[in-house]
Amino acid sequence: MSLPLGIDFEFRKVIMDVHIGSDKIKYCYQCSRCTDSCPVAAVANPFYENIFDPRLIVLGTLLGYKDIVMSLVSEKGSIVPWGCTVCDTCDTVCPQAIEVTEIITLAKNVATGAGLAPDSIVAQAQAVFDSAKAIPSQPAIERRRVQLGLPAVAAPDVNEVQTLLKNIGVDKKL
Amino acid sequence: MAEYKMFEGCTIGNRIPFIEASSRKVLDKIGVQTSQAPFTCCPDPTGMKSFDNMAWLTMGARNICLAESEGKPIISLCNGCTNTLRGVQHQLKHDSLKKEKVNTELAKIGKEFKGSIDVVHFVDVLKDNLDKVKGAITKQMSNLKVACHPGCHYMRPVEWMESDDPMRPKNLKEIVAATGANVVDYDELALCCGNAVAGPYPEHGDAILKQKMDSIKKAGADVIVVNCPACFQRFDTAQRDISKKFDTEYNVPVLYLTELIALAMGISSEDIGMKNHRVRRNTAIENL
Repeated sequence: MSLPLGIDFEFRKVIMDVHIGSDKIKYCYQCSRCTDSCPVAAVANPFYENIFDPRLIVLGTLLGYKDIVMSLVSEKGSIVPWGCTVCDTCDTVCPQAIEVTEIITLAKNVATGAGLAPDSIVAQAQAVFDSAKAIPSQPAIERRRVQLGLPAVAAPDVNEVQTLLKNIGVDKKL
Repeated sequence: MAEYKMFEGCTIGNRIPFIEASSRKVLDKIGVQTSQAPFTCCPDPTGMKSFDNMAWLTMGARNICLAESEGKPIISLCNGCTNTLRGVQHQLKHDSLKKEKVNTELAKIGKEFKGSIDVVHFVDVLKDNLDKVKGAITKQMSNLKVACHPGCHYMRPVEWMESDDPMRPKNLKEIVAATGANVVDYDELALCCGNAVAGPYPEHGDAILKQKMDSIKKAGADVIVVNCPACFQRFDTAQRDISKKFDTEYNVPVLYLTELIALAMGISSEDIGMKNHRVRRNTAIENL
């Protein structure tokens, strides 16, 4: 496999803009504390299958190597970026306070746009679009709520939420 | 005390409502008042945010708008919902471009995010009212050895949660200790339960849960106490699977923090629907 080493400046700019009010990703000096403290990296296959390495994701995005990052993301539900369990440990231990999880989130959003999100993620977005809840109301649970003396869950305005999500373009990705 | 808007969230409200039952009873006992609002999904910081960050920001901001229209703070029963609502609030307050984009979308449905109300996790409300909690306790839980699991999104990212030490959390331990229970320390306190990765990568999720459970077992805990419905479900449903997979008996019962406090306040386990737990109660809990 030949590695396409093109630098994509537009991609770099998008990554820089992930951070609130600064482009602090450029201060990453690859110390690898993110990967060392990542619970998913710790249980990755020792024979380098399904490896998940936040440091590499930061490096690839920092340098603007969109093709390399996207080749890792190229399969449906591939471990980069979907191995991230969103525990925010990497953000916490980073000596440069880089919001690594926000970078991985951007990679997930890009993958979703390309139709590569895992089924569980798409199913939740569909439920939110259809009912404004990730878990729709069900008669059996409604009965249990009554038995427990709980008030009915206040019904959300589904039409308004669908208008909002359509304007953002969520429906086109479902 | 101010009245809060109750944000029970999708998982508790529409899947495991017995957690809401114990939570409401405990909040009643310490005089915290709540009322409802037609909130949507927060949305999920591990699901919908991964799908589309702009949708996450805008739906989260819309939920905050609903509470803002009444000028009341939000109390959340769930780590994920608190994390989303506080995260949206944090990002929109510190990034004027994002705020402008979100408010452009909200304007189309006649709403505007201002950032004028507070979003609090129920653990923080209990901690701030610890004297009242202690005052309402009628039954000391001194026979119980508890492993606490506050869960990632209660304290991380620290910039927007502002609740506890992000790697050495202590609030949950402090509240559990107030019931008279014995908090046992274990090495993997700050480790994730693996819930979000378990969807697309069950093997990685199971390996993380095993690490967590081995550490909890080693500490000799009778029960795990949690304050997040996602973690609750993970511990309550996946323990049997990993017991089989790794040929080890785990089966440590899980209690929501409000269940433990409700029991300590003399509320019966029937009244808070504890029969709906999957992992069977062990003798330590039966003897309470």
